[in-house]
Amino acid sequence: MGLTNTPSDLLPGTLELLILKSLRSGPKHGYAIVEHLRVTSQDVLHVGESALYPALQRLLVNGWAKAEWGVSETNRRARYYRLTPAGRKQLAGERAEFERMVQAIQRVLEAS
Amino acid sequence: MGRWLRRLTYLFRQSRHEAELREEIEAHRALRAAHLEREGLTSREADEASRRAIGNVLLAHEDAREVWLGSWATWWQDIRYGVRTFRRSPMFTAVAVVTLALGIGVNAGVFTVLNGVLFRDLPAPAANELVSISQTVQGVKDLMGQDTFSTSEYRAYRDSTNTLSGVLAISNASGETTLGGDSPQNVYGALVSCNYFDVLRQPPALGRSLAARDCDAGADPVVVLGHDLWKTAFAANSDVVGRTIQLNRRFFTVVGVAAEGTYQGALKLGYFAPINAGRLLAAGDSRYENDKFLWLFLIGRQRDRVGLDQVRAELEVIAAQIDRQQPGRSTTLEIERAKQLTVPPGLRSAATGTAAVLMGAFGFILLIACANVANLFLARGTSRSHEIGIRLSLGASRARVVRQVMTESMLISVAGGLLGSVLAVWSFQWLVALAVPALVPPELPMSPAWDLSPNARVLSFAVAVTFGAGILFGLVPALHVSSSHPYAFTKHDSAAAGSSRRGVRLRATLVGVQVALCMVLMIAAALLLRGLYATYTIDLGYEYRDVAVVSLESAVDLSAEDFEALRRRLIARIEAMPGVDAVASADQDPLGDDFAPVAIRLPGEDERTARHGEAITVTPRYFSVLGLPIVRGRAFTDADVRSTQTGARPIIVSEATARNLWPGGDPIGRLLSSQNDTLQVVGVAADARVNAIGYVDPYQIYVPGAGSVLLIKNRNDFATTASGIRAIVRSLDPSLVLTVLPLSANLGWWRGISGTVTSLASGLGVLALVLATVGVYGVVSYAVTGRSREIGVRLALGATARNVLAMILRQTMRPVVVGASIGVAGAIAVSQVLSSVLFGVSPVDPIGLGGGALLVLGLALAAGLVAARPATRADPTTTLRYE
Repeated sequence: MGLTNTPSDLLPGTLELLILKSLRSGPKHGYAIVEHLRVTSQDVLHVGESALYPALQRLLVNGWAKAEWGVSETNRRARYYRLTPAGRKQLAGERAEFERMVQAIQRVLEAS
Repeated sequence: MGRWLRRLTYLFRQSRHEAELREEIEAHRALRAAHLEREGLTSREADEASRRAIGNVLLAHEDAREVWLGSWATWWQDIRYGVRTFRRSPMFTAVAVVTLALGIGVNAGVFTVLNGVLFRDLPAPAANELVSISQTVQGVKDLMGQDTFSTSEYRAYRDSTNTLSGVLAISNASGETTLGGDSPQNVYGALVSCNYFDVLRQPPALGRSLAARDCDAGADPVVVLGHDLWKTAFAANSDVVGRTIQLNRRFFTVVGVAAEGTYQGALKLGYFAPINAGRLLAAGDSRYENDKFLWLFLIGRQRDRVGLDQVRAELEVIAAQIDRQQPGRSTTLEIERAKQLTVPPGLRSAATGTAAVLMGAFGFILLIACANVANLFLARGTSRSHEIGIRLSLGASRARVVRQVMTESMLISVAGGLLGSVLAVWSFQWLVALAVPALVPPELPMSPAWDLSPNARVLSFAVAVTFGAGILFGLVPALHVSSSHPYAFTKHDSAAAGSSRRGVRLRATLVGVQVALCMVLMIAAALLLRGLYATYTIDLGYEYRDVAVVSLESAVDLSAEDFEALRRRLIARIEAMPGVDAVASADQDPLGDDFAPVAIRLPGEDERTARHGEAITVTPRYFSVLGLPIVRGRAFTDADVRSTQTGARPIIVSEATARNLWPGGDPIGRLLSSQNDTLQVVGVAADARVNAIGYVDPYQIYVPGAGSVLLIKNRNDFATTASGIRAIVRSLDPSLVLTVLPLSANLGWWRGISGTVTSLASGLGVLALVLATVGVYGVVSYAVTGRSREIGVRLALGATARNVLAMILRQTMRPVVVGASIGVAGAIAVSQVLSSVLFGVSPVDPIGLGGGALLVLGLALAAGLVAARPATRADPTTTLRYE
C-alpha cells in the first residue's frame, strides 16, 4: 500500500480536485481516471482503488458528477463518470483555492 | 437539498448500489489485467497482479458506504453485526436481556406510580396555567387548620388578584354525608366555591355548573353530583337534573352532573356543594363564618403571559395586607404549579424522602442487574478476545472496537428496555393493587381519584434508564476489551488471556458491588419484616380485639340536643343487646384518623412554654371498654360528664404525662391549664398507644364528655354485632346510616402500610438475591473454566478435590465477603432512616441484621460451591494431554 501515492495524503479534497480535472476533458471510467492521473503526473501519482471509489462516491453525493454504464474501448462494460455543471463550478472554485493554498505553503517554506 | 435527496434515494436502493460498485471495481480490475496483458504478461500473471494491485476492496466498499451515509453507515453495520452475534449465542442474550428487563421494568413501574403521585399535572384543560396556593401562618393565637385559608382570606385573594383570572376554593365536607332515599348510603363530598367549574374550565356533563348566586347567603341549596355517584346511585339517569335529593336529611336541588374526569382532589367526590352549605350538612359547622378557621384549599388560574413570579409577587402583597390587619401575624405563601395531588408543605420533605428511598431501592436492583450483565459481557469479551485481536491486528482502531462493543451493549439494553416496559406495566399494576387498599380502606365510602397511568414523562424516564443502563454496563467491558493485546489471538489460548489479572479484578469488583447492594436490600427487607411482625405482636396497652366502633359522624347535621338524644338512645339500646358488655363514647377512636391537639401548661407557665399533647374526650366507661387500667386515683363518673360547674375540670392523665410533668411527685389533685380552662387531675391511666402505633404520647390527657364515636365491648363475633347495631340504627332513624367497623381495622391500617412496604422490600430483596446469586455463580464458574488446565495439573500433582475446591472458594469469595461487609454498613445507615419512618424497625436489630446477612452470604457461598464443583471432577489425564 506504500506503493500508492494517494494525493489525499497531501491535502483533503485534493484527490477530488484531480478527478474533477481529469473528467474535464470528457467522461471516463475509474481505471481510465487512475491511468490519466498516473500518466499526466509522469508516474508519480498512483491512486489506489480503495481511495478512488470513495472519492468518486463523494462526487456523486455532491452532484458534481453523474455515472452511467457504457462500453469501454476494449469492449468491456464499465461505468463512466461525466462532469455536471455543478462539478465544473466546483472544479473552478477548488482550483483557485488549491492554488491559494500551494502559494501559501510555498511562502511558508521559503520564508527564512 | 439535492444532496439529502440523493442520500435518501441511495438508502432505498442500497443493495443495488453496492452491487454496481462491486461490478465497477471488478471491471476496473479486468481493465487493468487487460492492460497488463497488453504489456506482455500471461493472462494468469496479469490476473494475479491486478488482484494484488487492487488492494482492500472491502475497505473501499465500507468507505464508499460511509460517503453516502456518514457515520450512520458504520453504526448500522455494527448493529447488524451485533444482532448476528447475539443470534449465535441465544442463552447469553436471553440471560442478559431478561436481567436488564427486570431492572429497567421495576424502575419504570415504580416511577409510574411516583409520577402519578408527585409530578402529574392537575387534570384540567390548560393545566399549566393552574397554580396551587398554600400558606404558613405564624403569630396568631387559636388558629385552627394549617396550609389552607379562611373564607375571608380566600375572598381577599380572589377579589384583589389581577395576575390570576380566577381563584377557586375547595374543602371536604365534614365527615361522611348520608345520601337519603330508599336505601340511604354514605358518600364523600366537597364544598367548593361557585366558580369551581369555571376556573377549572371543566363544565358539567349535564345541567349547569354552580353560579355565583348559589353561594349567596340564603340561596336555595343546590348541588352538582359527581360523575361516579351519578352512575352508581342514579343509574346515570339524565333527568336527575332538577330533582331534589337529601343530603344529611337536608333537601338540595341537583343542578348538574360533573363531567367524567373533573378534578376532585385526592378522593372521588360524590357531590360538589356551594362553599357556604357546610352548616346545612353538619350542625355547628362554623368553618365558613370563622375567620380563625383555615379550611379552604386554593387553586388559581394564571392570566395569559403572566409568570409564576408575578403571581407570587402580587399575592404576597395581598398577604402583607392581611398581616397588617392582624398585628403579630406573618404569612408565608407557597405558590406552585398545581399538581394532581397536592402534598402539604409540612409533609413535602417526608414525601420526597420516601420517594428517594423508594427510587434508591429500585435503583439498586438496576445497578445489580447492570453489574450482572457487565460481568456477562466481560466474560464473553475475554472469550472474544480472539476475534477482537484479529480485528485490532488488521488495523481496526480501538475507538472502532469500543464502538462495536458499546453498540452491542446498547442493543441488549434496548431489548431489555422493551421487555422491561412490558414488565413495568405488570409491576405497576401490582404496586397499585398493593398500595391503594392500604391507603384507602375499602370499608370507607372513598376511593382515590388520582390517575397513575403512564404518560410521556414515564416514557422518557424509561428511555433514559435504558440508555443509561446500556452505557453503565457497556463501558467497562468495552474499555477492557479494547485494551486487550492484538497478539492475544495468536496464542490460541483465549482462556489464559481471559483470566488476565485486570479482567479478574474487574469481575471481582463487580461481584463485590452486587453483593453489597443486595445485602442492603436484603437486610432492609429483613428489618421491615421484623417491623411487620411487631405490628402483630405489639402490646398497645389496651384491648382492641372484641371492640366494635360506631361512627356517628354522618349524624352531624342534627342539633346538639338531638344528637345527644340519639347518642343516649343508641347507647341504651346497644347495651341491651345480648353479648354486649359495655358501651363507651369518645370524640375519637384509638388509632383512628382524628386527633385533638391540646396545649397544656403548669400553673404559672405562659403560652410559649406550653406542652403539646393530645386530649381525648371520653365517657366513664371508656377505660373499662378498652381494658385500660386506672393505676392511681379514680375513673370518671357520670357526674364528671354532666357537670357544667365552674372551677377545675376533672381530667385523667397518662402515666407518661404524670412522669413528665411531676417527676417523682403525686399527680392526683394537681392543677393544669389549657387555654382558658383549669384542669385538675383525678386519676392516672396506664400508658397506651392510642394515637399512633409507634409511640406513647408524652402528654396524653383524657377529658370527661362524649363524642361522635361509640366503642362497644362485646362477646359476639363482629358480623353479629354489626348487623345488630345496624338494625337498632334503622329502627331509631331510617334515614341514618352509621359506619360500623371493628377496632382492629384501625390497626389494620398501620399493618397495611407496614405490610405494603415490607412486601415491596421483600420482593426487591428476593430479586436482588436472585440476581446476585446468578452473578456469583457466573463469576466462579467462569474462573473455574478458565483455570481448568491449572486445576488439572494440581490434581495430577496430588492435590485433593477438597484442596482445589477450598482454593477456588477462598479466591472467589473474597470479593463477596468484602462486598457483604460494605453492604452491612450501608444497611445500618438505611435502616436508621427506615426506623424513623416505620414502626417497629430497629436499626440495631440483631435478628434482622444477622438473618439478612447470613441469607445473602449463605446463598453466595452455595452458588460458588455449585459453580466450582465441576472443576474437581476434571480428569487430570485429559488436561495433561493438552500441556
